[in-house]
Amino acid sequence: MDTKWKNRKKGISFLIFFLGVTLTLGSIIEILSNKPSGVPVWRLDLLQEDDYQQIGSFRSYIADRLESFLIMAVGGEGLWDLSGYWGEFSEEYWEEYSQFQEATAAEDYAQEGETSDALPSLSEGELVSYLQGLIDLQDIYRNMLNDSLDPENPDKDQLNHWKEILNSYRDELNSYQETLNASLGSQRRKIKSLTEQQRQELAQKYHDSIKEDKNILYSIRYDGKTLYSNSDLLPEEDSISTADGCPILPEGYNFLLYFDGERARIFKDGQEIDVYKDGYYRDESDWYLPGYSNFQADDTVKKAAVYIAAAEKPVPFNKTFYENGKTKLYDSSLYWIYTNFQYRLNKLQKCLAVLAAGLLLLTVSFFLRKSRREAARSIAGFQAKIWLECKVLLFLGLYYTLYMIFVFVITDSYGYSLWEEWIYTYEYSFTADSLVRFSQQVGSSLPFQFWIMLFWGLWLLWNDLKYNKKPWRCSLAARLSAAFSAKELKQPLSRKMSRRNLGLLLGTALYGTLLTGIIILSGRHSREDFPVLLIPAIAATALFLALQFMAGKKNMADARDMEALSRRIARIRSGDYGEAQGDTEGHIPGRDLESVMEQLDDIRHGMANAVDEQMKSERMKVELIANVSHDIKTPLTSIISYVEFLKQEEGLPEHVRDYIKILDEKSQRLKNMVQDVFAVSKAASGELPIQMEALDFGKLLRQTLADMEEQIQSSPVTFRTDLPDTPVQIMADGQRLYRVFQNLFQNAIKYSLQGSRVYVTLKTDGCLAVASVKNTSLQEPDAEKDYTERFARGDSSRTDGGSGLGLSIAQSFTEACGGTFSWRTDADLFVVEVTFRVLQS
Amino acid sequence: MKNMGECILVVDDDREIVKAISILLENEGYEVRKAYDGLQALDILAQEPVRLVLIDVMMPKLDGLSAVMRIREKQNIPIIVLSAKSEDSDKVLGLSMGADDYVAKPYNPQELAARVKSQLRRYTSLGDIHAGSRACELKNGRLLYNTEEKTLYADGEPVKLTATETKIMDLFMRNPGRVFPAEEIYRRVWGEEAYASENTVMVHIRRIREKLELNPKEPEYIKVVWGIGYKMEKQEKRN
Repeated sequence: MDTKWKNRKKGISFLIFFLGVTLTLGSIIEILSNKPSGVPVWRLDLLQEDDYQQIGSFRSYIADRLESFLIMAVGGEGLWDLSGYWGEFSEEYWEEYSQFQEATAAEDYAQEGETSDALPSLSEGELVSYLQGLIDLQDIYRNMLNDSLDPENPDKDQLNHWKEILNSYRDELNSYQETLNASLGSQRRKIKSLTEQQRQELAQKYHDSIKEDKNILYSIRYDGKTLYSNSDLLPEEDSISTADGCPILPEGYNFLLYFDGERARIFKDGQEIDVYKDGYYRDESDWYLPGYSNFQADDTVKKAAVYIAAAEKPVPFNKTFYENGKTKLYDSSLYWIYTNFQYRLNKLQKCLAVLAAGLLLLTVSFFLRKSRREAARSIAGFQAKIWLECKVLLFLGLYYTLYMIFVFVITDSYGYSLWEEWIYTYEYSFTADSLVRFSQQVGSSLPFQFWIMLFWGLWLLWNDLKYNKKPWRCSLAARLSAAFSAKELKQPLSRKMSRRNLGLLLGTALYGTLLTGIIILSGRHSREDFPVLLIPAIAATALFLALQFMAGKKNMADARDMEALSRRIARIRSGDYGEAQGDTEGHIPGRDLESVMEQLDDIRHGMANAVDEQMKSERMKVELIANVSHDIKTPLTSIISYVEFLKQEEGLPEHVRDYIKILDEKSQRLKNMVQDVFAVSKAASGELPIQMEALDFGKLLRQTLADMEEQIQSSPVTFRTDLPDTPVQIMADGQRLYRVFQNLFQNAIKYSLQGSRVYVTLKTDGCLAVASVKNTSLQEPDAEKDYTERFARGDSSRTDGGSGLGLSIAQSFTEACGGTFSWRTDADLFVVEVTFRVLQS
Repeated sequence: MKNMGECILVVDDDREIVKAISILLENEGYEVRKAYDGLQALDILAQEPVRLVLIDVMMPKLDGLSAVMRIREKQNIPIIVLSAKSEDSDKVLGLSMGADDYVAKPYNPQELAARVKSQLRRYTSLGDIHAGSRACELKNGRLLYNTEEKTLYADGEPVKLTATETKIMDLFMRNPGRVFPAEEIYRRVWGEEAYASENTVMVHIRRIREKLELNPKEPEYIKVVWGIGYKMEKQEKRN
């Protein structure tokens, strides 16, 4: 139940974190890409601006309109530039323009035909470059002429004559080029200038095309007359009456711009707006209108006056022509600005709401960060199980997807490569500013999904790296290599070496084949070089292969010898000092390892002798000890018996009783010592019979403690135990192990500080069971002293009751049972550890 | 004294030991014959009605084990071997040669006396009278348990046990040789789930040992199987 709730809590907190991050990130990206340009993200009031007339695109639209109207008012050259904005009008205009151009071009060709018959069908540009080519050719011929001049027999007259001809021809060409360029220039001027009638036509056409769009009401006046107007609701005079603060506007219109020929005045919602501020135009100024001190209108517009009124809520204007069944949608730019603005505002508000929700979730997840971190750890734990290769592939897939999105978005937005876009925008300036601006520009055109995917991809990567150290451990390659190396480790040396040799041989063969192949491929066209290169390459490869084969053969023989050597070493190590067996181990004269083999044999002989000696002396020692102890036991029996009689004797004086008591104690101690000496010498010589069986280590310790309970109860020390309840199965001789712990506990009782505690613990660490006995030493322990040495005691004066063999017996018996015995001192703490391998069931 | 007249032969090449044993046994009321080597012992056995032999192993002329074999050819009296060799293998060798008991030197005088007493009682009274055991009687070495009376006899004499001790002995006598973990003993004797049972069981076992073992410090019957549990050692019957 508890863990279930914990898991659920982990999941929920991570979900909150996930949603919080996703929503916050997504909404921020959306706000960034949708916000009006030039408005900082943190200006929430500007982001939520709900008046479309406050935005830059409205202002620039009105400014554009004023400019067009002024051009219409004065009928200037700029009528040409009115193209591009107004659909149908521009189409009509361009049709007319192109007809006009074709006519002039035909005229030009006719003129060209007179001067140059040969090139009737070329355009001006082509003609110019053709002429330039001719001039260049002249220069080349002249240079060739100079070069080909025979220095020993210079026919100077002839040469000069040629030169003159060439120069004059070139000059002629140059002059012709100049005339051509001049005539082309005049033609261009001719195309650009319009007649008064054409201008009026253009202006009228433009007026006709826009007048039905009642979102904008305008009145264009020049020299006191109204030239063009789409509304009679606008004032009919050149000055504006501002007596009551603001001129009256038609119903549904709340914006009025009045340009009096020099300056513009803007009224909005009954209030006049300060257009020019301090009178200087700057990049960041709101209105791009003439009238600033540094942005003046020219004199021709002095007589013009323009009224522009904008609707509060623009609507689209359509008209259907039933003659031809077409519906015409008028310009209605303001409507599109308005709807776009509304749409954007709507979206921004939604984004802000989502952002608020995301931030709220993030705050919540901040308070739940503990369980969130646990969730992250669980995710990392899951990630740790995935092979590194899979992870790399997954991440590569993710980032490739993101890259593809990036590329699609870039080609979609810019139509050509990102690099070109960069060059077009910033040329070759790689300043931080341009980088930031460019990345902002690119970034805002990427969808928010891209950034969210990128974020979570990076988060997963970061999470993996944070919690999973050494990620390469869990990888297919690591496993394969581990499996291979484990397999290789098991194989004998000669197999390993032969495999390596074979690899080398194959490598060389492959290399030779490749080399030959390359020579054949590259040399098949040139027959002369072919054998020159091919024969040495094949010969070299063959020679190399032969050399390797011979060396490999020798190596293989060495490998077999080394294997035999290592087998022999292993045999000696395991205690077999016998003579070499079989021909694989015998050393053959002439081999590389002969001397090593001989030396090893010497060592073997020496060791065999030494071991024999050692064994002999050890056996003698045991025999000696056995005999001596038997010999001691017989008189000891008498002593003990008679002391016993003395103890039973009645009527003895008190001091005699004391003497008898001492005799009794000492004879008992002597008896124990003799038994201990015998036991330890047998154990040390490996003659101790051991009956191994599976037993519970913890139970053995408990039994030993229970067995010695009386002794422990009457001692000045307390025993604290920490033994596991679950069985710890080990393989040992219970009787001997009992003796080990009996000795250890007795030591602890005997040599501990009064009132101190003895700690008996049993811990399992993987496959090892470690029993430890810790006691605070009565005497200061000597770190240099080896307490397991026979007859070693904490107190060198040997006046206490022990035989001095306790630890020695404990060690010998532990080792006889296959365990490890270790002891150490830490300040006054004396720690003994007995370690056994846990039996796996 | 009730042991009066029972004749015991003590054989050892160490005269002081023979003397010490003689004093010990005479104090107990036995009559003691002394021999200082194997041949002398055989001589005495041929002439006198000896009821029990205490014999050393390492002796001049004829060693103890050979003497035991020679004695066994003619007589069925209890033989206790005394030896300085205290290894298990020595004990096994001695017992297989025909000895009834094996006491290692240096011995505990009280224990030796108890062993002599035990062997004699088994030879004289139990050995013949209770030759065929009844169905309700469980026998193991010198121990005999009557399952109906719930009484334990050691060398033919009833041992006074408490109710718990009796239950433990009931368990052991019914299953000689089987190893019982402390938890099982606790569960079967006390009838409740065991927790920290080792000490409780051990205390009772120690008390039982003091009542029926000849040397409670080196028990022959109720033994600890270290790291596993407790058991009643099954004593080999000598033919």
